[in-house]
Amino acid sequence: MSARFRVGMSLAQACQDIGYKGEIGYQTFLYSNEPEIRSLLMFLVEKLPRERAEVSDQPTGKSVVLQRAIAAVIKAQLAVPWLPSNCRLPLFDETQCPGALHSFHVQSLSLPHCSKGPGKKQLKEVMDYQRYILPPVTAQFSRHTSVLASILEQHIAELSAAQEWDNEWNSQGLLSRLTPQDYHCRKLTRMHKRIKEQLHSATLTSPESPLSRLCSTSDLSELLQAFRCSDHVLTKGTHFTHTQKFTFTQEVAAMTSSIPTGHQSENDIQLCQQEELTLLQQQFHQLCSDVNQLAVDIKHMSVPYTQVLDELKQNELGNSEKEEKIQVKKKTIDLLPDADSNLLKLQVLVEASAKRVVNLASQWEKHRAPLIDERRRLKEICSNQDLESSRKLSEIKTLHDRIRVSTEEAKKKEEIYKQLVTDLENLPQDLSRSAYTQRILEIVSNIKKQKEEIKKILSDTKELQKEINNLTGKLDRTFAVTDELVFKDAKKDESVRKSYKYLAALHENCNQLIQTIEDTGTILREIRDLEEQIETENGNKTVANLERILDDYKAIRQENSALAAKVRDG
Amino acid sequence: MVSLLSGLPVTDCVKLCHRVVDGLCGRDPPCRADYSSTWSLEEWLELLNSLTAFFRLAVGNNSSDEVVLAGLSGVGSSHAEAVLSVLRARRDEIRRALLDRTNSISSATLQDFDWQLKLALSSDKISSLHTPLLSLSLDVRENTALRPVTMEMNREELNTLISSLEAANKVVLQLK
Repeated sequence: MSARFRVGMSLAQACQDIGYKGEIGYQTFLYSNEPEIRSLLMFLVEKLPRERAEVSDQPTGKSVVLQRAIAAVIKAQLAVPWLPSNCRLPLFDETQCPGALHSFHVQSLSLPHCSKGPGKKQLKEVMDYQRYILPPVTAQFSRHTSVLASILEQHIAELSAAQEWDNEWNSQGLLSRLTPQDYHCRKLTRMHKRIKEQLHSATLTSPESPLSRLCSTSDLSELLQAFRCSDHVLTKGTHFTHTQKFTFTQEVAAMTSSIPTGHQSENDIQLCQQEELTLLQQQFHQLCSDVNQLAVDIKHMSVPYTQVLDELKQNELGNSEKEEKIQVKKKTIDLLPDADSNLLKLQVLVEASAKRVVNLASQWEKHRAPLIDERRRLKEICSNQDLESSRKLSEIKTLHDRIRVSTEEAKKKEEIYKQLVTDLENLPQDLSRSAYTQRILEIVSNIKKQKEEIKKILSDTKELQKEINNLTGKLDRTFAVTDELVFKDAKKDESVRKSYKYLAALHENCNQLIQTIEDTGTILREIRDLEEQIETENGNKTVANLERILDDYKAIRQENSALAAKVRDG
Repeated sequence: MVSLLSGLPVTDCVKLCHRVVDGLCGRDPPCRADYSSTWSLEEWLELLNSLTAFFRLAVGNNSSDEVVLAGLSGVGSSHAEAVLSVLRARRDEIRRALLDRTNSISSATLQDFDWQLKLALSSDKISSLHTPLLSLSLDVRENTALRPVTMEMNREELNTLISSLEAANKVVLQLK
């Protein structure tokens, strides 16, 4: 009992906290009657948050739709009873047998369009191969399950490569203002340089290896060629191959060794050959170490050799300078005997050359001015073009962005549209709109009728009011007139005075009468109101409720006393 | 030895060579049962090895037609022509296969991958989970042996994986 009381009180408290103004207590929930609960529920429904209704109008998210679909499928699958594998229909085999799931494995494909270069003429052999021997894609696999996976993989790889190139070209390639081929070339050369540096640094760390002499080669392809050449050397000496970690070196070694030269079965010959082989190998090792020693010696010697070469060059330079000086001095000594005339000649020569220099300078100026103007003009044009091209570049970029944004928007809208369509299909179809509209129209017409009636009644009451007002006005006026007439006569006549008194009394009495009639009217109305109230209260069954509450009170007291007794006993 | 090819008519020889190249490029190699009447097992293996090595060498060294024909001096001229035509037709493909081999220079390379997206609807503790899980399985080739690696990731782990892979892809793009 007390638990029920507590729950009811907490519910009532919650309703009051929300703002319910009517009478409410635990009895409202325990001993409910129709009107109270009705008003309470109406209030609560009104209090429900509005947003939720709007949210439900919004298209439900894709994930929600998906999850619903998954839940439906799983529910359906769970509803299917499990059967031993022999009794299974092929329909359920897929969901109840986990072994049927294939893994996704990829094999490489041979597709004709891969080998087709743009504008490159195809070889006749390639055409023949593609026409007569290349099997169709579906026949290129040993297992059928990998067909789809391989084709998908191939297409995705090509697609993503094209997309990445597109992205890169739009972001960096356009800014570099090169054609795609030039851009490619530049990137390739840059990468070659980097690889070369890496290889150089790698070979420098092991200076005793013969590869260090490759450092001087300039081009990557030359370097690689050198590697390849040295591979053939290296395959003979096994201790060099161990130091080299490049797998393609090993590959080549494997290839060369995988072409064996015939098969000899006789043991003697094999033994002989083995001995010979070991001998030769020893000799070879000896020779190798000799070669190494010699290489080191050469290296040691090369340093002083270059020094000596430098010294020689310097000495030669000094010699030629000195020879020039000696020649000038010889000429001056030859001119010394006839000094004056020679001086004059020299002066004339100097003047002439000075004049010539001035002349040339003026000519140069003449030529220079238009050229400089031309240069300025061209520079201006150049800068203008630069500006324009950068402007256009930015425009192109913004256009790209806009294209991307609008495609995204279009995608989103399409998705929303699809979702809405699925939602629409999922909606129950049997509800007809026309029934609803008809009912609404009926209700509207009813309301209109009621409005007209209310208007009629209002006009009636207004007319009555008017009549009453008219009558009271008439009464007042007639009373005033008679009062005046009687009052005039009353001064002259004694009997009339009496009648005047009666008149006044009559008027007063009539007023009182009207007052009482009005009072009775209001009282009657009050009585009616009260009766209505009583009826509603009767409907509430207050007395019964009170009795019940009293009973509850007694029950709770009994429980309490019983509990107290228990506690005391315990 | 390549000279063993002479035991086969020219048209069959072309077919065989194409199948050998198929095997070199990662598809099915020729089947011995088709040729068991022509060669013994030993001869067959030898022929297969030498043919494969021959194709690899010819494409890897970018040899000219004369060099190739010189290498095929042991077989008849019509057979040599057939092998040469196969080589010319499939040069690009063999070259790509060799490049792939060189690319997988590291000790472990990714051969293939597969993924499955799973939706965990509930667990033993929580009645409604709705957590997507991705199980990723990688086929890693380690010294010619395939090793499967399987892992399961939730959304955050997958995001970190994808972002690191994207960073790696950026580096690769610079090399393309």
